[in-house]
Amino acid sequence: MSEYQLIPQPEEIPIREREDAMGSYMMMFAAVGAGLPFPFLNLVASLIYYYINKAKGQFVKFHLVQSLLSQIPVTLINSVAVVWGVSLFISSTPVSSAFKGYLVMALILNIAYFIFSIVAAIRARRGEFYYFPVFGRIAFHQVFKEVESEDVYVGPINQPPA
Amino acid sequence: MYPLFEIDRQVEYSRGELLLRTFFGWIYIVLPHAFILGLLGIWSGILTFIAFWSILFTGRYPESMFEFQEQLQRWQIRFNAVTLNLSDGYPAFGLTAQHEGVHVEIPYPENLSRGELILKALFGFIYVIIPHGIILYLRLIATMILMIFAWFAVLFTGKYPAGMHEFNVGTLRWAFRVSLYMALMTDRYPPFSGRPDEWEGGELIDSYDEGDDLGGEPSDAFVPDPKDL
Repeated sequence: MSEYQLIPQPEEIPIREREDAMGSYMMMFAAVGAGLPFPFLNLVASLIYYYINKAKGQFVKFHLVQSLLSQIPVTLINSVAVVWGVSLFISSTPVSSAFKGYLVMALILNIAYFIFSIVAAIRARRGEFYYFPVFGRIAFHQVFKEVESEDVYVGPINQPPA
Repeated sequence: MYPLFEIDRQVEYSRGELLLRTFFGWIYIVLPHAFILGLLGIWSGILTFIAFWSILFTGRYPESMFEFQEQLQRWQIRFNAVTLNLSDGYPAFGLTAQHEGVHVEIPYPENLSRGELILKALFGFIYVIIPHGIILYLRLIATMILMIFAWFAVLFTGKYPAGMHEFNVGTLRWAFRVSLYMALMTDRYPPFSGRPDEWEGGELIDSYDEGDDLGGEPSDAFVPDPKDL
């Protein structure tokens, strides 16, 4: 018995599921539009989208999980940038080189995340899988791991009064 | 395929409910519904933003997102129908709920025009919001005045005058069509009219070019069964 369940092929995936899977990456657009000053809003939007769509099939769920997981580090990095920037602004401290370096790093990571998300959205719309580094493997494992049923009899739950 | 929007005029309206709504409606109807609708509205905005990109790249409004928007529209309309005294009863909570006498169906467009999408995004304010907004604003004033008259009519007679009902529902229908167009859910430019789409033998008669209904007779248009749309 294989460790993972069978992966659906593009022709088996209805357009509706493909669009729902694509939507999980498109949340990033909403995040850019609405959540820039409050990076955690992105994660909230993605979480809501995840809970609404997670029962719509494994293909959708895989993309939801991958999108959600990949957003966590980006959100954390952006949040730190915002908090750091605001604290510098409030304390009227001159912008340090460390902060500039951090911003550049955050920018590069955001661009990388943006590109990965766009590619993943296109592939999801085609009914294909696209694996992000690290997160792709985790998401696949989470969704497609074969779960063995535990038929261990634990006795009746309801009992007469003692 | 055209959207269906109809609020039935009841034979008899409850005076008790009318008074209850007038004095306490904001507590037991507006407050809970507005709170939830406000939150769902934020979500709707996010989905519209995503739908924009989806239409731009694929020419399709993601079907499940469209369904959500339709359900939300239906909820907002049944909420408006009750709070504006066009329909009795308590508007049901929930996206899949229905309200007796309120019929809203938005056919799913298989394909949407990318060109029109860009046009809406760039110039929608000029060619939709300004012209429709001005007329709708004037019509809303008339609607509010008629609602006051209708309030007294219902209080004393238990009946909502047919012409006033038609006009007020028409105002909501007009606003509904504009919102559908601007929410990217249809490519059909909203007509400058509140009249319902007229159907005959299963075919739509585009009656909008025949004149406005700002002061016209109430239409006795045939309302199709939503299942047929």
